Amino acid sequence: MSQTQTVQEAAPGKEWEPKIVAFLCNWCSYAGADLAGVSRIQYPHNVRVIRVPCSGRINPAFLLRALQNGADGVLVSGCHPGDCHYITGNLVARRKFALLKELVQYAGIEPQRVQFSWVSASEGGRFAGIVEKVVEEVRKLGPNQKLVKTL
Amino acid sequence: MTPSHEIETRLRETAEQLLREKRVDLFLGYEKASLPFRTTPLFLTCPQEVERLAWNPFCAANLAVYLPRLFKAPADARQAKDAPPPPTVGVVLKGCDTRSVVALIQERQVPRDKLVLVGVACPGMVDRRKAERALGEHVALGAGEDAQGNVHAVVEDGTEVALPREQILASACLECRSPTPSIHDALLGEPVEAKDPQAARRQTAEFGAKALAARWAHLRQTLSKCIRCNACRQACPMCYCKECLLDQTRPRWLGAGTDISDVTIYHLVRACHMAGRCTECGACVRACPMGIDTRLLVRKLNQEVEDLYGYRPGEAIDATPPLSAFAMDDPQDFLTEP
Repeated sequence: MSQTQTVQEAAPGKEWEPKIVAFLCNWCSYAGADLAGVSRIQYPHNVRVIRVPCSGRINPAFLLRALQNGADGVLVSGCHPGDCHYITGNLVARRKFALLKELVQYAGIEPQRVQFSWVSASEGGRFAGIVEKVVEEVRKLGPNQKLVKTL
Repeated sequence: MTPSHEIETRLRETAEQLLREKRVDLFLGYEKASLPFRTTPLFLTCPQEVERLAWNPFCAANLAVYLPRLFKAPADARQAKDAPPPPTVGVVLKGCDTRSVVALIQERQVPRDKLVLVGVACPGMVDRRKAERALGEHVALGAGEDAQGNVHAVVEDGTEVALPREQILASACLECRSPTPSIHDALLGEPVEAKDPQAARRQTAEFGAKALAARWAHLRQTLSKCIRCNACRQACPMCYCKECLLDQTRPRWLGAGTDISDVTIYHLVRACHMAGRCTECGACVRACPMGIDTRLLVRKLNQEVEDLYGYRPGEAIDATPPLSAFAMDDPQDFLTEP
């Protein structure tokens, strides 16, 4: 993490594919994604998963930094309200998320690039559905050029 | 509106009494500065010097910014044992500064029982850049206020030029919703009504009504002037972290240069940190050497916090800051559903 690593560009000649960085909470959404895999549910391969202890661990700077380093969209997913392993982590996070979503939109960045959801450990199908939706929406927007750092 | 010179006299009396009776160790106020449209912060420790205290339409600085560092505990526990006890501090506060102090008390950065809050009902402070612009080609050598509260400048040929207040007041003052301190140990001056409580709302509504691309273009254009001097952060009373996230090098979250991407993210992150905490004193705008409206994003987030969670920063000491709290039924219509 100490040096900037830009997500690799698509190989020339290949069609552009959106890159989504997904921050999944260890206790629900990561397990949900695992279940989707174990259950052989097909979903787009555009997500790169980062496991975090809790959605409350998410700092808005993480998401902005992902967009700066070449992600076309970010997805944050945690436990449903009331199910948090740390009791209230996702509830406190929810306020931050609501504000970040509004801020991004107000600043003139497409709000679809920053998405939030709740997925429990038993909702493999729901996880696949959310990923499909996010990838579809970001694909429509095209590559992220607004926050990307070009040197 | 109470004339400034009356407030100044009462301010000196109050400070003199507080210092003489040893009710405070230190008194923070303003002193006349050598440049027009400015004052300089004054740290008084002896009652004989209260004549240096000034009160005029140029006392814009937010003195709350000096408070957290006066009460900061030593990082080393061994030093903490021998550290002198925290001082008692008297401080001059306008409406906005009071809100900052209230927020600092809430966040446990300053102890209420060590503070004597001398509130002043604030008629609004002069933005020196606006005043300089209003003078056009003239250069101000001095500035002052007459008994009726009209501001004037003395220009290079010795003539006096009148400056209408509403033209030169800082934008934060025009938008201010509580110019009279709500919490104080002494209040100087007659309470002042808010000038235009809806002014900030109108501004964000106007910006928000633009198309997405136009908003982005406007933001980019505004921020392209930023030189990343971090003055907005240093001037802000609510930015008291010992080590700023954006200064960290392991990991380095953000480049320190003026790359437009880094600059944009700096301002977005600053807005996130200020949401529901910014007391809208305008210190960041005053500090910015490039004249950027650094409150553009924060203004919006504060309104969002008010709409969603019914909270205005710096109103009540016993209130819980909205981002340290939650409700089971907080709105979550922003979530993605498959």
